[in-house]
Amino acid sequence: MTREDKKLHDVQSGMEGPRDAGGHPTKDERVVGPILPGAGEVAARPARTLWGDAFTRLRKNKLAIIGLVWVTIVIALALSADLWVPRFFAEPTFTGFGSLEAPSAQHPFGTDRIGRDVFSRVVYGSRPSLSVGVLAVSISLALGLILGALSGYYGGVLDAFIMRTADVFFAFPYMLFTIALLAVLGPGLQNVFIAIGILGWPSIARVFRSSILSVKENEYVDAARAMGASDLRIMFRHIMPNAIAPIIVYGTMSIGGAIITEAALSYLGMGVQAPTPSWGSMLSEAKALMIPAPWLTIWPGFAILTTVLAFVLMGDGMRDALDVKMKD
Amino acid sequence: MSERIRKGFAILLVAALAVAMMAGCTTTEGDGETESDATKGGTFNFYISEPAFIDPVNLQESEGTQVGQAVFDSLVAFDPITSEVIPAAAESWESNDDATVWTFTLVEGAKFHDGSEVTAESFKYAWERICNPENESEVAYHLGVVMGYDEMQDGTATELEGVKVIDDYTLEVTLNYGFADFEYVVGHPALAPVPQEAVEADPDGFSEMPIGNGPFKMAEPWAHDQYVKVVRFDDYYGTTSNIDGVDFKILADQDAAWLEFEAGNLDFVPIPSGQIQTAVATYGESSDGYTVNPGKQVSLGAEQAIYYLLINNEDPALADPDVRAALSLAIDRQDICDKVFEGTRTPATGIVPPGIVGHKPDAFEYAKYDVEAAKAKLADAGFPNGEGFPTISLEYNSGSGHEDILALVQEDLKAIGVNGELVGSEWAQYLDKLGAKDYQVGRLGWIADYPIMDNFLYPLFLTGSTDNYSFYTNPEVDEMLDEARTTVDDDDRVALYQDIEKIVGDASAVIPMFYYRHTRVASDRVIDGIYSPNGLFTFDTVELDIAE
Amino acid sequence: MFKYVMRRILQMIPVFLGVTLILFVLRIPGLLPGDPIQLIVGEKTLTPALRAQIEEKNHLNEPAYVQYGYYVSNLLQGDLGESYQKSRSVTSILADKFPNTIRLAVAAILVEIVVGLLAGIISAVKQYSFWDVLVTLSTSILVSVPVFWLGMLLQMLFGIKLKQWTGGALFLPITGMGTPPDIAHLILPAVTLASVSTAYVARIMRSQMLEALGQDYIRTAMAKGLTERAVVFKHALKNAMIPVVTFIGIDLGALMGGAILTESVFSWPGVGREIYLAVLQRDWPVVMGGVVIVVLIVMVVNLLVDISYALLDPRIRYGGAAE
Repeated sequence: MTREDKKLHDVQSGMEGPRDAGGHPTKDERVVGPILPGAGEVAARPARTLWGDAFTRLRKNKLAIIGLVWVTIVIALALSADLWVPRFFAEPTFTGFGSLEAPSAQHPFGTDRIGRDVFSRVVYGSRPSLSVGVLAVSISLALGLILGALSGYYGGVLDAFIMRTADVFFAFPYMLFTIALLAVLGPGLQNVFIAIGILGWPSIARVFRSSILSVKENEYVDAARAMGASDLRIMFRHIMPNAIAPIIVYGTMSIGGAIITEAALSYLGMGVQAPTPSWGSMLSEAKALMIPAPWLTIWPGFAILTTVLAFVLMGDGMRDALDVKMKD
Repeated sequence: MSERIRKGFAILLVAALAVAMMAGCTTTEGDGETESDATKGGTFNFYISEPAFIDPVNLQESEGTQVGQAVFDSLVAFDPITSEVIPAAAESWESNDDATVWTFTLVEGAKFHDGSEVTAESFKYAWERICNPENESEVAYHLGVVMGYDEMQDGTATELEGVKVIDDYTLEVTLNYGFADFEYVVGHPALAPVPQEAVEADPDGFSEMPIGNGPFKMAEPWAHDQYVKVVRFDDYYGTTSNIDGVDFKILADQDAAWLEFEAGNLDFVPIPSGQIQTAVATYGESSDGYTVNPGKQVSLGAEQAIYYLLINNEDPALADPDVRAALSLAIDRQDICDKVFEGTRTPATGIVPPGIVGHKPDAFEYAKYDVEAAKAKLADAGFPNGEGFPTISLEYNSGSGHEDILALVQEDLKAIGVNGELVGSEWAQYLDKLGAKDYQVGRLGWIADYPIMDNFLYPLFLTGSTDNYSFYTNPEVDEMLDEARTTVDDDDRVALYQDIEKIVGDASAVIPMFYYRHTRVASDRVIDGIYSPNGLFTFDTVELDIAE
Repeated sequence: MFKYVMRRILQMIPVFLGVTLILFVLRIPGLLPGDPIQLIVGEKTLTPALRAQIEEKNHLNEPAYVQYGYYVSNLLQGDLGESYQKSRSVTSILADKFPNTIRLAVAAILVEIVVGLLAGIISAVKQYSFWDVLVTLSTSILVSVPVFWLGMLLQMLFGIKLKQWTGGALFLPITGMGTPPDIAHLILPAVTLASVSTAYVARIMRSQMLEALGQDYIRTAMAKGLTERAVVFKHALKNAMIPVVTFIGIDLGALMGGAILTESVFSWPGVGREIYLAVLQRDWPVVMGGVVIVVLIVMVVNLLVDISYALLDPRIRYGGAAE
């Protein structure tokens, strides 16, 4: 490991206990490395017991369950919006200027400057957020797992090359790089997927690589190799199941990070474009109206906060359940 | 023990917060507290975005010009409401009979902020500085009419042949052709005098902290992206200002400026879209649209600018004036103003906007909404109900919201049976298309450099003028335009321009769409502030209520 | 020690070259929206002769690898080119902005240290108490709050509402607007920028303290009759600080890189906002030059933090082989 790895390791080694390590990659403008516990210290136990235990433990974690329930609700609202929003609330369309209305029975979250129902827009705004969360993290996972696996399993020059490239990516402040990339790709939801996805792989690759390194040296891997198993077989049958736990935890938390990043990009006008509602762009429109119409600021922000928090709590719970933690 | 930690923590937080808030108070209110008089003094907090230049040598956009106007005085100034020429650095001036030679008499004893004297030489030096190609000025064209301009631009001369210093207080300017409105040209803030010694001692320093002859002097160099601070110049030759100074606070976005206004930290800001009705209800509307006073704080007056549709007069389908009149009559301008601009534009009834000397309402006969008349005109032209009329292209530069406007135009035209097709292109490419006559109907905005009718007629309708993108040609109009320029009598000249506007309007050479309007609001401590039709705020006469 | 520093510097070089390569690829004409030459001339008419002249001057007609050579060599000479929008050099624009970014970063770090450490200590010393639950819960929430939203709420509360409630007596400035921005203007942006990291600092501090308090020597000290307070400050705190200091070091580097969101919300004239505005105006020299300089500064700050860390803590093996 390089010094940076050691340093991160130091930071991580401090994290333990149920709620103290929110490995939440997107802070204001940067990723201070994956603050994720115990990448290297996964308990190498037979797979079946691990998952079985994990489920039992997850069920006992109240906060994680709350997170899970909230995420489920948000997803359900997002998917079913077309079915019920238009029936109960005014169609989110242009009605004219000067139509700012305070929250009422008809418009529970009030209306925006051109008379659109804010509640409907917050519900519809969950769509870009959730889809970015899932799709961008999938892109990161795909890239990160492949590169991390290559790096960790084969080592040598390939490892050095991939890890140096990851260093280059880490050298950029996160938000700055995202914006530079979007400047080239152009704004829009699709490019937000790509940008967040591309920039997420190095963290995943690093985490996965160190998991693999720690699992690789186990006797059962040696045994499999002695029995003449192919690389792919060893990878999928023996290494993956034992190295994947940190990735699941990290992936869950990354969804929260991707949602915040999407909101930030839309707030800066580089993400989802008007008139499509998104939480970030709604906040951007709310800027000048904070005083006369605080509901425009409060609700979309609240939606981001609770959704991200739900993913963080879920991630925390999974981390504990999967026993991904420092031995200390 | 942890009890103590807890207390310490709380005390620290409270202390930090308290210190912070005290600091907050002193910074913003300190300015006013030094003065005891309720109506004199105070610092005006004026919002601008980052200017391109504040040095007259390249004073071009609104933000820099706003600063330049406070720091510099040109030969003449404009009445902030009527836009008429009034004396400034020159106390009087006259031209010869064909308006080719102009003599300006300067105010004696006027001083620059560094104490040196403002003389005719200062003007000659400043103008030559602008025309010197080495200085890469983008505003040199203002002096294009002055004899010797071309020679300076191509580097064959180092002096403006047409500018002569008769004595310290007399400046004589010879033009290439008669131009009776030249007195308006010299009112442009870029044509202000500069002190030669100070400029030559430190040219870069001068651009950051210009030394002018205006009512305010720079207090410190321009802090880029932060502020420009000017204070009252007590040796000003005119009436010294009522306020202590102006802090031009530079903010990159208008939403932040609006918040600062609501927090009481800015005195004059643009109103964000969606807020205009509310602002009028809360702060009250200025009675004349320009003068702001407590309770009448919102300025919604017309600006000296117009948004118009171009018609390719050479296009076979559009060569018939009746067709063009029909198109003009078919457009519901008020509807577009309401839908797209929230009432921040007013329907145009001519090409010359209000606020220009000689503006006449309803100058264009067909610049109004009348579907029946439109249908009749179209029938006169041989296309009853639009039958047989080809589909025309409606072109615009993309990315600036023009699509919404032209989409509404498209709907209006459909009502009289004319089909249009929207075509957007990038700005540069768009201008190329216009210049190549490769369009049928397009759009442009036109903003006055000086508040004169010539500015809206000569460049737009003279045969062969580069800005005549509608390719209107009328030898009679060409002749009248030249005649007007050399007509020295103000009333005769304006009457001539009004005739020209009528002829052009009867031919529907272009379709006037909207006049731009101000959308700004002042704080309740601004007394008699005037936000001119030219988009510049007048600091000379404003007062601040600092009695708190 | 010297060998360690040298090694670290040598390690930086390929990473930095990688960064320049990525940025160079991003700025290849055709990849960026808009014709670069048209952007250079602005709204002036672009004649073929003028185009050729600009291509020549900017080496745009050379093969890509030659252009990369020019790019890197200009960079090494500190020449980042001219802004398209403002007639100033990119270097002077950035030089204007960095002091503001540094001011904000330092203020944010102070908030992290004061609030984060105190919260972490209280939480650990009083484990499972009301305060512990409060700290743990609020750190979870803080890491999930979008900073720009937090900034907006603070503006609304402290800048405007508080002023209205107190009749103008108490309030905080809500943007970087000032002459010049002073300490009062720093408070809201610094708190906003520090929010997420403060939560991390508190968490790290808490778990470190818990660990330290559980160590044998602490128990021994307590058994010897030292007061709880002395134990906390003399022994536990000292050992718990190392990871916290490390985290703050990394964070300082990251904050120096400019805080696009915080700076935008508060109109803070810093480097992050400058680059963001340049992106909106397609002012590529400012974007690319700004990013390169920011990356360089982040790397150097991280290096300095590492070196001082190695100097301060003798237990770190800085000369040794990679583990």
